[in-house]
Amino acid sequence: MTVALKEVTTIIMAGGKGERLFPLTRDKAKPVITFGGIYRILDFTLSNCLNSGIRRIYVLSQYGSFSLDQHLRQAWDVMHPDLGEFIYSMPPQQIMVNRWYRGTADSIYQNLNLLERERPRQVIILSGDHVYKMDYLEMMKFHLNRGADLTVAAVMVPRAEGGSFGILKVNAAGEVENFLEKPQDPPGLPDNPDFSLVSMGVYIFKAEVLVAEVIKDAKKKTSKHDFGGDIIPQMVGRKKVYAYNFQDRATGAPRYWRDIGLLDAYFKAHQDLMGQTPVFELFDPDWPVRGRPQLDPPSKYVGAGSRVTVEDSLIASGCVIEGAVVRSVLSPRVRVGAGATVSETVLWDGVEVGAGARIQQAIIEEGVRVPPGFIIGLDHKRDAQRFHVTDNGVVVVPNNAIMEE
Amino acid sequence: MKTILVVDDDEAIRTLLKEELEDEGYQVLMATNARDALKAVEQEPLDLVILDIRMPGMDGLEALPRILGLKEGLPVILNTAYTQYQESFMSWAADAYVVKSSDLTELKDKIKELTQT
Repeated sequence: MTVALKEVTTIIMAGGKGERLFPLTRDKAKPVITFGGIYRILDFTLSNCLNSGIRRIYVLSQYGSFSLDQHLRQAWDVMHPDLGEFIYSMPPQQIMVNRWYRGTADSIYQNLNLLERERPRQVIILSGDHVYKMDYLEMMKFHLNRGADLTVAAVMVPRAEGGSFGILKVNAAGEVENFLEKPQDPPGLPDNPDFSLVSMGVYIFKAEVLVAEVIKDAKKKTSKHDFGGDIIPQMVGRKKVYAYNFQDRATGAPRYWRDIGLLDAYFKAHQDLMGQTPVFELFDPDWPVRGRPQLDPPSKYVGAGSRVTVEDSLIASGCVIEGAVVRSVLSPRVRVGAGATVSETVLWDGVEVGAGARIQQAIIEEGVRVPPGFIIGLDHKRDAQRFHVTDNGVVVVPNNAIMEE
Repeated sequence: MKTILVVDDDEAIRTLLKEELEDEGYQVLMATNARDALKAVEQEPLDLVILDIRMPGMDGLEALPRILGLKEGLPVILNTAYTQYQESFMSWAADAYVVKSSDLTELKDKIKELTQT
């Protein structure tokens, strides 16, 4: 069973405010936060689309939509409209209704005219703030083979860790019997009771079912108009809802998927990129991830008498390193001065670390100049007076930070 | 008494529905186009809207989500001479789709069903 791609509409949800990622989302949309040096979080989902052969994409935007439009223009102007390909950014149109998107389900409701125009058979709904590599057409095959109304992609986590996610309770056939938001005692899988299935926020709907469900939801006064919280629970038991287990086919192990919803998750996902065999491999010829094309000179390591160290790190182009960089991710045009130490840190575009400065466990936004000798991440009490420090002790330095010399 | 707004550009239909529904004990307001209908929805306390689809200016399918946006949960019956709009996703947001007929039984039944609270 196959589906022609022209019968599929793909929609990426990218409108959320990302308040839990503050201050990174202070001046931009969450999906366009820098990730992995040269990428924005959204690039992973868009690359998945491209690698899956999907070339007709709507990106539903709302908060900070300019930053999103700008990124789509600068990095993703790769489609050919005359071949019917596109990536369109869709903020609330205020045509059908006079309001902002109230939630993910409402953002579909507000674009029913778009679905009416396209008349797809299936609709793929994705999220703009996840890091993973997934072939959506494999999931589509699964969805069509089961004749499902809705297929929810899900990844296995140890049962003990399932309490902080939306968990799918499935039967042996993979049919979803219940959806539990942050359950105390997460149900295990029938064939793997030590693991629970976490919803990835990746959905394939039969188009007509999607339309009927979002209309129904729009009329519900108590609804928060959210796919995870409202649409999925209202469909389970009434419609054919299946879970697609995102696992390695050969080993059965869960594949890599991260929701970058929290600062600590953002930081931790960066650690997954590094080392000889990273948890999440960017060096993957079978699954290229597209970032913003850079026109910088090669990075240079300049040891004018002092020692330059770079260990287990990702260094983008245009950087000048005269100090030490360990287990860190550097975006383009970062400078690390002589005698400075940067460890377990994420530096965005153009950050300048002055000579002799010491930075540990930090996220530093674009263009920040850290004065020579300045210390970040070694004394959390002092850091907290100036910067945001996460529960796990990661210091976040926004681009408007003031640091005295 | 329940109040019904009849939206139709055809005077004969408006008159017919007004007479018939008043006989049934409803109060009937009328609008000749979608823009006036939206004004009425905003200003008048209504229990139900009967909405024609093919009207000059804004059609019924364009007006429908706006009506629902103004008054969440207000029941709307699409009342049209054509069956083909039933296929349109845009018509699915209505509570009922009734094809115009000289026999008003189906329409009256739907009204009764949707105004019962």
